[in-house]
Amino acid sequence: MLKKNAIKNLILSFFLIASASVFAQQKVTGKVTDGSSGGGIPQVNIQIKGSSVGTATDFDGNYTITTKSASDVLVFSYLGFKTKEITVGNKSVINVKLMEDASSLDEVVVVGYGSRKKSDVTGAVSSVKSEELNAFPVLDAAQALQGRAAGVVVQSNNGGQPGAPINIQIRGNTSIGATSSPLIVVDGFVGATFPQPNDIASMEILKDASATAIYGSRGSNGVVLVTTKKGRKGKITMEFNTNYSIQNTINELDLLDANQFATYQQTINPSYAQGPANTDWQDLLYRTGTTENHQFSFSGGTDKLNFYASTNYFKQDGVLINSAFERFTFLANVDAQVSDKLKLGMNLFGSRGAEDGVPTQSTGATANGGGDDVVSGSFRFSPDLGILDANGLNTINSVGDDIDNPFAVATEGVNETKRDDFRANLYANYDILENLTFKTTFGFSSINETEGLFRPSSLITTAGGNVGGRALIGNLRRSNIISENYLTYTTEISKGKLTLLAGYSYQKDVAERFSAGAQGFSSNSFSYRNLAGGAVQLIPTSSLVESEIQSQFGRLNYDFDDKYLFTATIRRDGASNFAANEKIAIFPSFAFGWKASNEKFLENIESISNLKFRASYGATGNQGISPFQSLASFQNIYAVANGNTVGAVTPLQSANPNLKWETSFQTNIGVDLGLFNSAVSLSLDYYNIDTEDLILSDSGQPQYFGFLRAASLRNIGEVNNEGFEVNLNTRNISKENFSWTTDFNLSLNRNKVVKLSDTENLDIFLDASPGYFNIDRTHILREGEVLGAFWGLDYQGVYQGGALPAGTALLPGGEAGDQLFSDVDGSGDISPADQQIIGDPTPDFTFGITNNFRYKNFDLNIFFQGAQGGDIMNLTAVQLFNGDSNATTEILNSWTPTNTDTNIPRAKLRGKEISSRFVEDGSYIRLKNIALGYTLPSDIVSKLKMQNVRLAVSAQNLFTITNYSGLDPEVSYFGAGGGNNSAANTTNGFDFGNYPALRAINVSVNIKF
Amino acid sequence: MKTTYKLLLFAIGLTMVACSDLEEQPVGLLAPEGFFQSTKDIQTAVNGTFGHMQHEDFWGRKMSLTIMLRSDMVDIGDPTTSARRIQHNDFEVPGDNGMIPDFWRRTYQMIAAANQAIEGAALVDAPDSQKNPIVAQAYFVRAFAYFHLVRQFGDIPYLDGTVTDAAAAGSISKTSAADVYTNIIADLEFAKQWLPNKQSSRTIPAKSAAHSYLALVYLTNGEFQKAYNEAKGVIDNESTYGLGLEQDFQNLFNANTIDASVEPIFSIDFNGFRDGDSGQDYQPALTGIRSDEQYGIGGGWSVAVPSLNVFNTWDDRDYRKAVSFDATGVFEGNVEPFTNYRNFNSRAVNRPHIAKYTRFTGTTANNNGRGSQHNYSMMRYAEVLLIAAEALNEVQGGSAEALSYINRVRGRARNGSAFPANLSGLSQNDLRTAVLEERRLELAFEFKRWYDIARRRIGNQVFSATGLEGAKPGFDDNDYLMPLPPDELARNPNLLPQNPGY
Repeated sequence: MLKKNAIKNLILSFFLIASASVFAQQKVTGKVTDGSSGGGIPQVNIQIKGSSVGTATDFDGNYTITTKSASDVLVFSYLGFKTKEITVGNKSVINVKLMEDASSLDEVVVVGYGSRKKSDVTGAVSSVKSEELNAFPVLDAAQALQGRAAGVVVQSNNGGQPGAPINIQIRGNTSIGATSSPLIVVDGFVGATFPQPNDIASMEILKDASATAIYGSRGSNGVVLVTTKKGRKGKITMEFNTNYSIQNTINELDLLDANQFATYQQTINPSYAQGPANTDWQDLLYRTGTTENHQFSFSGGTDKLNFYASTNYFKQDGVLINSAFERFTFLANVDAQVSDKLKLGMNLFGSRGAEDGVPTQSTGATANGGGDDVVSGSFRFSPDLGILDANGLNTINSVGDDIDNPFAVATEGVNETKRDDFRANLYANYDILENLTFKTTFGFSSINETEGLFRPSSLITTAGGNVGGRALIGNLRRSNIISENYLTYTTEISKGKLTLLAGYSYQKDVAERFSAGAQGFSSNSFSYRNLAGGAVQLIPTSSLVESEIQSQFGRLNYDFDDKYLFTATIRRDGASNFAANEKIAIFPSFAFGWKASNEKFLENIESISNLKFRASYGATGNQGISPFQSLASFQNIYAVANGNTVGAVTPLQSANPNLKWETSFQTNIGVDLGLFNSAVSLSLDYYNIDTEDLILSDSGQPQYFGFLRAASLRNIGEVNNEGFEVNLNTRNISKENFSWTTDFNLSLNRNKVVKLSDTENLDIFLDASPGYFNIDRTHILREGEVLGAFWGLDYQGVYQGGALPAGTALLPGGEAGDQLFSDVDGSGDISPADQQIIGDPTPDFTFGITNNFRYKNFDLNIFFQGAQGGDIMNLTAVQLFNGDSNATTEILNSWTPTNTDTNIPRAKLRGKEISSRFVEDGSYIRLKNIALGYTLPSDIVSKLKMQNVRLAVSAQNLFTITNYSGLDPEVSYFGAGGGNNSAANTTNGFDFGNYPALRAINVSVNIKF
Repeated sequence: MKTTYKLLLFAIGLTMVACSDLEEQPVGLLAPEGFFQSTKDIQTAVNGTFGHMQHEDFWGRKMSLTIMLRSDMVDIGDPTTSARRIQHNDFEVPGDNGMIPDFWRRTYQMIAAANQAIEGAALVDAPDSQKNPIVAQAYFVRAFAYFHLVRQFGDIPYLDGTVTDAAAAGSISKTSAADVYTNIIADLEFAKQWLPNKQSSRTIPAKSAAHSYLALVYLTNGEFQKAYNEAKGVIDNESTYGLGLEQDFQNLFNANTIDASVEPIFSIDFNGFRDGDSGQDYQPALTGIRSDEQYGIGGGWSVAVPSLNVFNTWDDRDYRKAVSFDATGVFEGNVEPFTNYRNFNSRAVNRPHIAKYTRFTGTTANNNGRGSQHNYSMMRYAEVLLIAAEALNEVQGGSAEALSYINRVRGRARNGSAFPANLSGLSQNDLRTAVLEERRLELAFEFKRWYDIARRRIGNQVFSATGLEGAKPGFDDNDYLMPLPPDELARNPNLLPQNPGY
């Protein structure tokens, strides 16, 4: 008790002394507000120039500071705003308006293993800020990158499917067999999954070799560096974001009704008996979907410690019945300044996602040939049938293949995926000397994913009535540890500044998988939860795949006189998955920059605020080789003897001790220009990427060798990507009450297969059609052509009878009203020999344009995105005009002897020929987002004891201008391979059975306390 | 304090610095080195060859369907079925026909697996008396595989070891058909010497399999005396080998009874399961009637359907006709004649469909008849009798012994009725015709007819306007061989020239 009083007295006397001295000086108070919004800005740093005396504004922007004399100058600074200096004079109240600093040249951008001032960057790097990421709600941060940065293509791998993976591609397809997806680095953790968009402070996209070569054998597809939010010194801020949206399909097909359908089928098969119902399957399958997203975060800090923590809940009910996705995410970042020299920190991330799917895209994953795809089912299935037949069983299609009705597939099947993600990364930063820093990180991540699938016996196609239901369950557990250690040294040499970096990294990835299945269940109530209840056990599988990578890396930056910039990087990677003779890979890069605007002869030209030229060249890699792929091996194969499944092996491949990574050699030339105090800033980049040693199945290996992997893997291919990128940002109007800015980006990329094989002119034919099409070829890889040019017959219109037009012919058995095709081989009839390249899916260019308006407390964001040129292979139309399914009302204009003036051949059963008839122009412009926000005036907000309140309504995909006849020109069908593997490199521009894209209306509230 | 921090840093930094040698240590994967330890491992390698036979590329669909459609006994049903199938049926096969590369590759994979088993056996430390009876299965399979290839393509690349030097193996020339036959006979002789008289199942080759195949190989080569000798050898060993004729012809095409039958000599076995297209049998779907409900397998695809002539020219009194055909189906619960099939599915055809593979499929793991528990007889005892008859007739025209073998087959076919009656007093010519005709009906839809047409060179006759499928203008003598896959010729130009006519 005594002791406590003593302390109290001590504190009291301290305050007395302190206040005594205060009265001897002048006290200045005021409020710092945002020049454009008028709201108070918290945490603005206020310092008396030339002294260590300073303070910061409170959460309303108010401050108090004590000055010593009238000549003191107060410096008001805040990140992202222009610093302001004001002489105190005799004022006791100084209110300050800070203007946003649009020049942003002094922004710091994160680069691999460090950061650089944006003005000093020599490579091609795009930054995307958190406002852009959160302009409208997205499920995945990757999605928010779409249209935001030149050279970056973002595509859902299945339309608007809740939980669908998002593919990112930077500067084209640089591989054929390996992934073309960039490396994702989150807070220094290499190969992480994206955090939730609201938790991201910034994303940097590293595009050229100078920027990515520091990531060596994993750098050739570009690198996305994600930095999550951190706490800031000051009062604890709590933030609550919530949004809710309703969604519908952007489009539906205009299909025949039951009467029209029966009439149509009867022209094909006069004995077709019309079914009893009139069902609009699209109506049954599509609904109004919803998403909701709630996030709560709190952050703050002291001199020694800051933290940021958030939790997020996302839920989506898809527009297709029975499809849904739900996810919880937690994230925490803590940084502690332990001593002057030592800083410790930790990032923690955890999430649980649960997806409830319905089969789409006809990938054949759950039914042979893809017969259980509900989207294609909606237009394949007869509209004159109901859901149940007269016996109360699910109906089966009355035309074409025997498929279950899509409503039954969607409602009775179970496709569940649960995925847990966990990641922790600990770092220590130690200043050994003032200019020598050591940083070490140690991280661990784990993914645990379980997929369950069930098809009850009531579904015929996908489970087979006599199979009695089928259930499968599979599990993937993937863990990753990473340890990185590096030293950074900076020094000044005369007018130059030198930065050196040297480090060591080790990373190990382990994937364990198993799956099991059974069929013949006594009850459909088991779902996939009781495999033992199946009469027949399917063959279980299990595997373990491990890989290690061990690397040394270094970088040298030399900036001379703030005019000349030089960067060199090198990385030496040793990877376990590289073959015995090629364990080590070295990747160098160089870059030069010239800040011409700092030269004397430009210094005085007011209008040019920035002019910088950049050039870089370097080599980066793509590991391309899966673990164990270079070793000779046997493969277990399914075999039967004496009625039993028996152990059996066959030679899979011979050893290839020389198999190595794929290497990209990239040249980048760029210029950054800032005009009128950076009211206009323009970046132009040209690049040329030669990717060599592509790992391809050597289709030049004779098949009579008899290896199960018919083509051995060899480093034989070569592709080239060449492109041009434009980024233009303008501040059109910047007034106190009104501002207008425009961000525009445009990219064009040309890719070309340079070499495929040692054998000359060996074409590789590929097939993206659903299995039930029974087609071999839809696209081709050919030297000199784009990766994946469409392959098929050249459609020449409808045959009107009589003599064949010159150079054309019919399929065998053709008659008047049938399709005419170019007779390439002049044989007089149409055969596979008449197939040729009929389309190129590459757009001429893609672009994104964002306009941001701010009027008083209102803000408006309008974001268009589009592509020009680029063909689409409309496989949906192939089905619709094939005669063995429902069709769109266009079929009513089919050729008949009395309706000859038409481009639609006679109604007939056809062989699903791929032809130029189904190749369409895929150009489009889409209003991706329009969002109107209102920020509550600060006086109201402060009465509510809040910092900031913003309300917004937005709409996504409100309209699209396109001539494409299919549902959505942003196609994302990858064929039976799905979008996750190499099929995504070569299978572009195909449309079939995607989960439909969404049109959404969204309301959101953001509250900061 | 300071040193503590430094130590801590080093502790963290060095945790993972422990250097790795980056060597791969696969767990759960099979490497050739060290695999062959015991005779059981040889059997596992031989089993791989069975797996290839059971694949969709080979007997599951691609090869079996191809040789079926090329015969005069099976026509295309569904006109919208893929062009690569129709091309074979019509003998309009382009060089790059889509069926051929798949079964070409699969047959060579079967050969590579057999070669691996033979080479691996050399690594197993066991006496020949233990190893050879197992490795002889691989010799049999190698002969079986090359026998298909040589009949389909003539001169072919011939490998009798696994490929280790890709450059050398990638530039070999074709081996002449005659030399391939010599090697096939040598392999079968080895197999005949070492295989046991009986195996636990007819799905594993026994001595009888090698013995019977020798007879068929000689017959195909026109070496009739040798063919007769081998066939006679099998007949003489009927009880040693445990052979006989199944009493009820239907039982041969019933997945539930075939395992117990004494008639099959070597079978490709499907057990109703699969792994992707491995072990997947599509015959019930390919030959079944679209939308037919009678077998509860969801209807077939009406792809391979005999012409109406095959049905109409076959005597109704022949029990085998009823076993071989379905002239009725069940649709919407009602029995309907074949003339109504198309009313229920626009891709069906109004012709009787093959019933041998749809009627008793056993328990199928899949739907739509994409699977069965059938054992497909590659060789059954009835064929051995007919080989003996055909070969002997060539050596001794009109031989009574030859007639006796045919009559044994016809006797079983009667199934208690009086039809077909025994044959007697035929000239060499008439007997030759009669044997071929007996083969056509006894082995109908069993993938034998095309090879009979080709070895007897009767294409111009059976594919003329008077043939069962009407005139096939696409047919000429070049069609006795199929084209080598053009990609394969591009990969190794030493395999040129292409077979004539392609």
